[in-house]
Amino acid sequence: MAPLRAGLMAFLLATGSSMNLKKYLVRALHRLQKGPGYTYKELLVWYCDNTNTHGPKRIIKEGPKKKLIWFFLTLLFASLVFWQWGILINTYLSYNVTSSLSIGFKTMKFPAVTVCNANPFKYSEVKPLLKELDRLIEAALERILQPENSSDIVSPPLDLELWNQIPLVLIDEHDKDNPIILDIFETNQTAVGNERGMDNETRCSHQGSENCTYRNFSSAAQAVTEWYVLQSTSILSKVPLHDRIRMGYQAEDMILACLYGAEPCNYKNFTQIYHPDHGNCYIFNWGMDEEALNSSNPGAEFGLKLILDISQQDYIPYLSSAAGARLMLHQQKSFPFLKDQGIYAMAGTETSIGVLVDELERMGYPYSDCTMNGSDVPVKNLYSQYNTSYSIQACLRSCFQNHMVEICGCGHYMFPLPEGVNYCNNEDYPGWAYCYSSLTSSIKQRQICIDSCKETCNDTQYKMTISMADWPSEASQDWIFHILSYERDMSTNVTLDRNGIIKLNIYFQEYNYRTISESAATTIVWLLSSLGGQFGFWMGGSVLCLVEFGEIIIDSLWITIIHLISWCKGLQQRRARARYPDVPPTVSELAHTNLGFQHEAGGAGLGAQALPPEPGTPPPNYDSLRVQPLDTLGPDSDTDTE
Amino acid sequence: MRWYCLNTNTHGCRRIVVSRGRLRRLLWILLTLSAVGLILWQCAELLMNYYSASVSVTVQFQKLPFPAVTICNINPYKYSAMKEYLSELDKETKKALETFYGFSEGKSKVRRSVDDWNSTGSDFFQQIPLLKVEDFSRTATELHSGQKRRVEGSVFHKDSSIVNSGDSNDIIGFQLCDANNSSDCALYTFSSGVNAIQEWYKLHYMNIMAQIPLETKEKLSYSADDLILTCFFDGLSCDKRHFTRFHHPLHGNCYTFNSGENGTILSTSTGGSEYGLHVVLYIDEADYNPFLVTSTGAKIIVHDQNEYPFIEDIGTEIETAAATSIGMHFTRSRKLSKPYSDCTETGADIPVENLYNKSYSLQICLHSCFQKAMVDSCGCAQYAQPLPPGAEYCNYKKNPNWMYCYYRLHEKFVKEQLGCQQICKDACSFKEWALTTSIAQWPSMVSEDWMLRVLSWDKGQKLNKKLNKTDLANLMVFYKDLNERFISENPANTLVILLSNFGGQLGLWMSCSVVCVIEIVEVFLIDSLSIVLRRQWQKAKKWWSHRQRGRAGKAPQGSDPERQGHDNPTPVSIDEDLPTFTTALRLPLPQDSPLPRTPPPNYSTLRLDTAFTEQLPDTLEMGRH
Repeated sequence: MAPLRAGLMAFLLATGSSMNLKKYLVRALHRLQKGPGYTYKELLVWYCDNTNTHGPKRIIKEGPKKKLIWFFLTLLFASLVFWQWGILINTYLSYNVTSSLSIGFKTMKFPAVTVCNANPFKYSEVKPLLKELDRLIEAALERILQPENSSDIVSPPLDLELWNQIPLVLIDEHDKDNPIILDIFETNQTAVGNERGMDNETRCSHQGSENCTYRNFSSAAQAVTEWYVLQSTSILSKVPLHDRIRMGYQAEDMILACLYGAEPCNYKNFTQIYHPDHGNCYIFNWGMDEEALNSSNPGAEFGLKLILDISQQDYIPYLSSAAGARLMLHQQKSFPFLKDQGIYAMAGTETSIGVLVDELERMGYPYSDCTMNGSDVPVKNLYSQYNTSYSIQACLRSCFQNHMVEICGCGHYMFPLPEGVNYCNNEDYPGWAYCYSSLTSSIKQRQICIDSCKETCNDTQYKMTISMADWPSEASQDWIFHILSYERDMSTNVTLDRNGIIKLNIYFQEYNYRTISESAATTIVWLLSSLGGQFGFWMGGSVLCLVEFGEIIIDSLWITIIHLISWCKGLQQRRARARYPDVPPTVSELAHTNLGFQHEAGGAGLGAQALPPEPGTPPPNYDSLRVQPLDTLGPDSDTDTE
Repeated sequence: MRWYCLNTNTHGCRRIVVSRGRLRRLLWILLTLSAVGLILWQCAELLMNYYSASVSVTVQFQKLPFPAVTICNINPYKYSAMKEYLSELDKETKKALETFYGFSEGKSKVRRSVDDWNSTGSDFFQQIPLLKVEDFSRTATELHSGQKRRVEGSVFHKDSSIVNSGDSNDIIGFQLCDANNSSDCALYTFSSGVNAIQEWYKLHYMNIMAQIPLETKEKLSYSADDLILTCFFDGLSCDKRHFTRFHHPLHGNCYTFNSGENGTILSTSTGGSEYGLHVVLYIDEADYNPFLVTSTGAKIIVHDQNEYPFIEDIGTEIETAAATSIGMHFTRSRKLSKPYSDCTETGADIPVENLYNKSYSLQICLHSCFQKAMVDSCGCAQYAQPLPPGAEYCNYKKNPNWMYCYYRLHEKFVKEQLGCQQICKDACSFKEWALTTSIAQWPSMVSEDWMLRVLSWDKGQKLNKKLNKTDLANLMVFYKDLNERFISENPANTLVILLSNFGGQLGLWMSCSVVCVIEIVEVFLIDSLSIVLRRQWQKAKKWWSHRQRGRAGKAPQGSDPERQGHDNPTPVSIDEDLPTFTTALRLPLPQDSPLPRTPPPNYSTLRLDTAFTEQLPDTLEMGRH
């Protein structure tokens, strides 16, 4: 008790020392005492009577029985309000969204249209590079198909170096436990005969090492295609880019006619891009160099009309077995991922594509976990070298390529290269195929990429209604082929035929957009009005009532302080009296009592009588204080009676 | 009343009492009433809109489960194997073709078959022969006898009879009669013989197939080895073990990839054509049934593992000699069930037994409902749908009447007279794979040669000829992207929001709360009731005392203290009320508190007495009793 007292004294002394602060405190205390009352009970009653909240008033006004009922009702309502507030705030913090859907037609940017040939290079151009490989595969096919007379075929010596890295083998699985593995070019093989075998590829990480896997295929056709793709990838990756572009289809050969709306266009309106799967691709309306074109009318007349030539005779026979044009609609400034979103158009037909733009506009963080421009995704976007925007496909591929570079030491030919890395090929990286295939089949690697990539907030899809018809008709084909050949080659010879020619119509449908846009379901305004509604519904309260409540709490705090002080005072005095029953209080103590509030507090509290009246120092504000409660009472009773 | 108005927390009521002047008071009454009206109206609106739902769309990028892909050959059974069952029917059809259209493939053969016909003679073809109808005279030429006869009964046009072809003589059709009552016949006519022959053939075909047991039928149809030449999924090779056989009544053996039967459902973690399902199908065009199916190819359907594939209803057709690439986009939808909308979660609340061993869908319900009606009214089950327990498929030998019955029932079903469409509700949640189909030429000219050779080798040595490219179909099914769209309905209102809206309305118009409502209940129901009761009691009391007075004749004495009591208790009662107030304020009570008999002027202004005057004598009396 003594240290507390000493501290209190020190505090009081300090206040005494600075007059200004003292004055302020005195005024504050006076203001406080003018307030609702002196004790908790008075305060509470005063509060209940004067608050704008509906329940407490009733507690005061009613008879004893009803008082109890009202007390419980008020308590119930108050707890209800708090419970519901909790729910509301929770709802707000869960950041729900509402979606609104709008459908209609408006002038929109015409989508970027990428057209490619299903075959990446002209066979006539790449023949010298693939000569060895083709001879190899032809011989292999001969052996597979006619094992008996394979030895009869006299073939020039084969370059078995290519073969030995990734040989094709036959696996006879008639005997499940120990399957017979036959290298196709081994001479001492037993006859494949009538047994049905499985075709396989072997991949060794290094020649001669034991780290080998067999990739099983149930069908020879698949095995041969996969094998060929792997080998040709390795060969072509060594060719520099400008040569690869030269070997692909040129715009003027491929795009024979172009019409956008009523405006003529030609191959110069297309942006060339090199796509690893499909060679040279041409993008219409990409929006890279100039403003994107708008389309303000629905229907085929106002869309894009193209005539393409895919020259099927010049296909690489083993690389792609499907013939046609590959096309894709995408947003401006985005990279076309034809393997994912591309569609085929068949030769000798007219393909009409009606487009509906299906947009989804989402709110970003914290409403949903999406990214606006990909800057917050921890994967380096390799497609940014094309100056294209972020997309989830770009992220996944970049992620894969980064892993590939990390693990195998070289980049895969199908994806863009990070700086300072080369594409994989068999000479420099003999184990790359094994590394690649183990990487693609690893579920873990895929999951890492899926987890680290985020989808974009604005998701745009082009919903296509595709229909086909034969084109050109038999009656018209002669003159159409003639004119198109003439325009392309300036010769009267017909260089086109049904197997190469494709007509495309791409246009907006009658309703060209369907936009689902999100908006926050719970805004701060919503929260406030709901909170207010709840409070008002149960108790008729408002923010002012909360302020009132806060006021009461402050007041009661003050009362507590006053009580504490007076209690300490009383204790101290009692002790003092016990110790020195005859000695009058010291001057310093008297000065403190002059502050008034301690007297007052004492008077209001329990020890009013215990305090010995000090005749020498009549406090001037004491009286006024005495009067105050009466004054406040007057208006109180008045308001009550009204 | 006055007391209530003064002390209530609602704002308007107080104004009514407080304002001076009749006009102003009237105005306030009107305002208060209109506010009450507005509140009631708005709250009713809120209540009515309570069961509305808001839609939210979420997109999630994730590893997606690959759907089940069911693949069927369009032709259900190998024609070569079916020959023995269908020879008679085929002969009959050929004869019909010759008689009506003069078509024959090799004169001598048909002649012979016609001769055969006369010798064998079958009963059930005779029952439903093809007829050539002359519309105006209403006479029909029968196929075999060639004799004309009058057609009775109503005429149904199977084809939409909007355009009537010029010469009505060529209308062809068949007649179905009730076996028990031969006058009750229905004539089905078709504007084109192509449709008529096919329908007629199908009718008899179903009849024949219904008699063949399931095991035999499975053998007659294609095996997995027959149909699937190569298979490739997610960059890895797959074979027939990944396919589950599923026998479809109309399409024969179908094969479901990733049916989830062995408990595992494959999923894709990469989009794009390389990572989907890639199969080459062998469509043996030479072995097609010429009358039953007239198109060549395969039918596929992408569905959930728990869904029944309704190939005949929503299948996608695959062309031969082409590569069909099907890009998928996955959407999952979920509706709120009762009371928000009329959909069903599991189908358990639908009074139709689910005959399919799959999860509920509207199609399943409709088909089951029709099958049930069929069994109830015709006594046997229709061939295209699964068997309900204890029923068997219709065939001529046992149920000679079933075709007529079936057609009648089907007519009713289509016209929604069976009530199936009313009973069946749509399912609350469904998965949808939106397909983008495109076609490329396959194999390409330059690869055709080696491709066909290698595929023939794949097919094995039992097929010794080289494959034709029109026997093959290449199919790619893949996810375009791994974005799953989830469209769900959420309740737009919860109870919390409804209440806060109520509160907002009450507060806005009248600054009222539940407390006010309780007050109203208190004042207008409980208190006024008690007042009425007390008055009644008083009346009874008075009447009693009158009676007493009438008897004794010394009433004045008794009434006086009562009168005094009226004045007396007023302060007392206030005293009762006040102490809390005064003591709470810690006023020096002794000076202030008046004597009970001298009411201070202050208290007279307290209008509480209006409420208490009625009450007080009563309490006194009560006390006295």
